[in-house]
Amino acid sequence: MNPELVGIISQLGFPLALLGATYICGSLIEAGHYRHLRRREKASVGFPAITLRSVPASWTVLDAALVTGSVVISLDYFKRFLARLRGLVGGSLKSYETLLDRGRREAIMRVKEAARRRGAHAVVNIRLETARLASSRRNGKGTAGVEILAFGTALKLAR
Amino acid sequence: MEFRPRLPEEGINVSRTHPLREALLLVGGVLAVAALVVVMGALAVDLLVPHVPARWEVRMFGALWSDADEDDLDEEARRQRAELQTLVDRLAAHWPDSPYPFRISVLEESTPNALAFPGGLIGVTSGLLEGVESENELAFVLAHELGHFRHRHHLRSLGRGVVLSVVVSVVLGGGGTSASELLELAPMLAERSFAREQEREADEFGLELVYLEYGHVAAAGDFFERIATPKTRLVRQVEGYFSTHPVNLERIEDLETLAREHDWPRSGELRPFSN
Repeated sequence: MNPELVGIISQLGFPLALLGATYICGSLIEAGHYRHLRRREKASVGFPAITLRSVPASWTVLDAALVTGSVVISLDYFKRFLARLRGLVGGSLKSYETLLDRGRREAIMRVKEAARRRGAHAVVNIRLETARLASSRRNGKGTAGVEILAFGTALKLAR
Repeated sequence: MEFRPRLPEEGINVSRTHPLREALLLVGGVLAVAALVVVMGALAVDLLVPHVPARWEVRMFGALWSDADEDDLDEEARRQRAELQTLVDRLAAHWPDSPYPFRISVLEESTPNALAFPGGLIGVTSGLLEGVESENELAFVLAHELGHFRHRHHLRSLGRGVVLSVVVSVVLGGGGTSASELLELAPMLAERSFAREQEREADEFGLELVYLEYGHVAAAGDFFERIATPKTRLVRQVEGYFSTHPVNLERIEDLETLAREHDWPRSGELRPFSN
């Protein structure tokens, strides 16, 4: 076979195979994470984690402490490819939406777990922060991933 | 106010578009626009190139190919280069209003090939020189490259190359690393798809120069005949598409036809070439 043809096929095939493989991996991991999240959200639905800044007047607070829940997640190759193309034409970066959605929900679940371990009954004044992690490439472009931090005040209440 | 347990709502912060659909739309759209820009750019280059005075070209590029490489050559290589230069000068003498100061250089490369660079530099590979059996067939290869200069093909290739690399770098700047493997590939493909028509034009001019120099066009196609090995039709078609110099039998037939049309004798005395 013509070596040039082989070259063309391998040059085209390698990136395509990588895109396909990372799409499959990424989708499987994402679907698994969503299943895991929904199960835990259902299990902890009765545990109040709210954004109110003040303690409701009817509650008697015995103890209060800062609790944090932080997640670091990375983009996959396929998502990054989509986002780069999107960056050419503009529009919403749909491929990142699920990533951040998962991150926020996971961070809130971790805040609830942290509060529960301290024996608290509720978390108030929950806030969310997002930070881009250090670049994955030397030229300063590219993103290694994002950290999503949820924090709030865990309250131990007298019942 | 009372606390009521509620699950987080889904489908608000996450779009419903399937990622593969998004990928297809984006890739298709970006490729379509890029292809359009490349085609328009290539057309613009073709319109502009005839209006670029060759003097400008020689002034811009001529200095790049001055005698800089001469110092690195040994005695033997210098003698060979001088011999080739004489042959080029003899052929170029039949194109009296040529604006180019032609200069030849031997490239160390085993694949037989010859190239025309902007500003009047002709490159021949050492692999080509080794395979040559008579001065006449080498003369045709060189005259063919002069034909590229005559039709400004080298400038058109350069212009297209610039348009293409700009578009590719813009697309890849957005497309990310995954597509960067295509960077080398794209210019090569575009170069090749339009080169065949140019080869025919260059062949015609080259054949005329060879006729004016020797009085006949014998052995002009020998070189291509020798490196064209018989292959199945499909392989030849595919290869023809991917090769800049269509080395198949069709090209040799074209040369025969040209010679017949112009009444150029197809046989005559061959001069030896010492390689």
